[in-house]
Amino acid sequence: MSVLVAPGRSRGRPMLRPWLPRKVAPYVFVLPFVALFVAFSVYPMLFTLRLSFTDWRGSGAARWVGWDNYTYLLGNEMFWGSLGNSAALWLMIVPVQVVLGLLVAVLLNNAKICMRSFYRIAFLVPFVTPLVAVAQIWVVVFDQDYGAVNSLLNLVGLPDVGWLTTSEFAKPTLALLFLWKTTGFIVIILLSGLQSIDAGVYEAAAIDGASRTRQLWSITVPLVRRTLMFSVVLQTLAVFQMFAEPFVVTDGGPYNSTTTAGLHLYEHITRGDLGTGAANSFLLVVVVMGLSLLFVRFLRTED
Amino acid sequence: MTTTHAPTPAGTRSARTRAAATRPPRTSPRGLPAAVGSQVFLLLLALAFLAPVVWALISAFKPATQIISDPLGLDLTALTLDNYRRMFADVPIGQGFLNTAVVLVTKGTITLFCAPLAAYAFAKYRFPGRDLLFGTVLITLMLPTIVLIIPLLLEMKALGWVNTYQALVLPGAVDAFAIFWMRQVIADVPDELLDAARVDGCGEFGIFTRIVLPVIRPALAGLAVLTVMNIYNDFVWPVVAASSERMATLQVVLSTLAQNITGNRVGADYATVTGELLAAASIALVPLLIVFIALQRHFINGILAGSVKG
Repeated sequence: MSVLVAPGRSRGRPMLRPWLPRKVAPYVFVLPFVALFVAFSVYPMLFTLRLSFTDWRGSGAARWVGWDNYTYLLGNEMFWGSLGNSAALWLMIVPVQVVLGLLVAVLLNNAKICMRSFYRIAFLVPFVTPLVAVAQIWVVVFDQDYGAVNSLLNLVGLPDVGWLTTSEFAKPTLALLFLWKTTGFIVIILLSGLQSIDAGVYEAAAIDGASRTRQLWSITVPLVRRTLMFSVVLQTLAVFQMFAEPFVVTDGGPYNSTTTAGLHLYEHITRGDLGTGAANSFLLVVVVMGLSLLFVRFLRTED
Repeated sequence: MTTTHAPTPAGTRSARTRAAATRPPRTSPRGLPAAVGSQVFLLLLALAFLAPVVWALISAFKPATQIISDPLGLDLTALTLDNYRRMFADVPIGQGFLNTAVVLVTKGTITLFCAPLAAYAFAKYRFPGRDLLFGTVLITLMLPTIVLIIPLLLEMKALGWVNTYQALVLPGAVDAFAIFWMRQVIADVPDELLDAARVDGCGEFGIFTRIVLPVIRPALAGLAVLTVMNIYNDFVWPVVAASSERMATLQVVLSTLAQNITGNRVGADYATVTGELLAAASIALVPLLIVFIALQRHFINGILAGSVKG
């Protein structure tokens, strides 16, 4: 027991009785975190879980309705529509981001490329820029009548496009915003994976006559598989929870084409239908967890 | 290393590949155009990433009517501070900066102290309840943050904290991601190092401050930048919990300005609001941009140190 004075210690400072015994220490260390975590995460989470089984409009007594909120949502067109929008955005974002991110990371990992730190900063600038500012820039730049993008199109003789005002373009424009904002972060994560690959593997492959493309597919991709998986899961969570981007840029329109799962959830709340909102969030958690497990599985069994 | 490189059967090796093996790769004639191509590709992509931000920073100095009549043009003689002047007169942006600064310092300190400390306990001690607690942390990682907004707001009302600094600072001060990340990093610190300090008479808390914190400094710097960024950019919770003019953070001020734009879709008003908006957006992004560029080495190295290995 370290609590006692160590016998036979002749040299150095005399060992005092530690003020914090080893058995008690971890509890003391987690205490500040646990206090905040229980008060502002666990308690609200349990509250929401209970709320999802009630009909409650924000005041008065909550009425217990069992699974009614869940069955209502599962038969509701808007709920499935919002999931469909998020799935469509996922398809527009995640594959592009993984391919583009890996390509940029591989190029930046090559010592022959000059100005590498400039590129790293450039790709991360959108990531560190406040979303509210970014979203406003997006609204102004993609404005149908006055925006810079349509001015560019006019310069080369193309007609105006309703980037944010037509349902066929609003979703890709939103996806572009998300890609622009977050790809730099994915590049850095993938770069960390690439840097843990032993350079000797590439030398061996080059000696065996493997081309650059061949090396990418046969060495780089398999070896950064875990990092790729991490990025895909991270972005799946982000896309399905996406709320702030459509909230600021399109407010879900036009014709609900950009009402993401995250935004739809918020609409229940603004309507005052708190029980349904709570049920919607737990359904979303199930979807996101299911997808994450699926990717983890898929990428594991690929070898 | 899990993959072993299978040598190509000798018979399939052509003369060309054998030549390639003896030649240093960097002088290969095929390599040069590829390198130029990569460089051009990266440069164009980087410019595309920078363009919207640069455009906004420049346009904020253009006369408001020109921003919408000629979004791509730049008349150097017409540059003006009018957008900034009007924006300062219209919205409490100074107060916004002050509120953001207060929240940044207090909330940032709490996060950077509590998260590594708790993560240290999770990573290096065995104690009953540890796995249950950490499991709960992982579950909250999956939960959309909007889910917690209603109960949190009700909690703030019950505590009488609506429109106070406590409401801005305490919820979310230690988020699940910070704990998860720091635990990963601290788990890599060798146990021998901690035991050696213990033998030398270092107390449990001393081990944390004198051994663990210095060793994980790169990741800690990464967490610091990420935390500052998240707090500075957060706007959903501040809009809900503290939207009064006195308590509005910078992002709340910005988002109220953005709501004006949908109301003024026509003519000169639209131009004025757009100008103010770009001025406000520029002024909000410049401090963070400066911090980021000054600390980018720490930030990038921190993330590289902390994320999962390939």
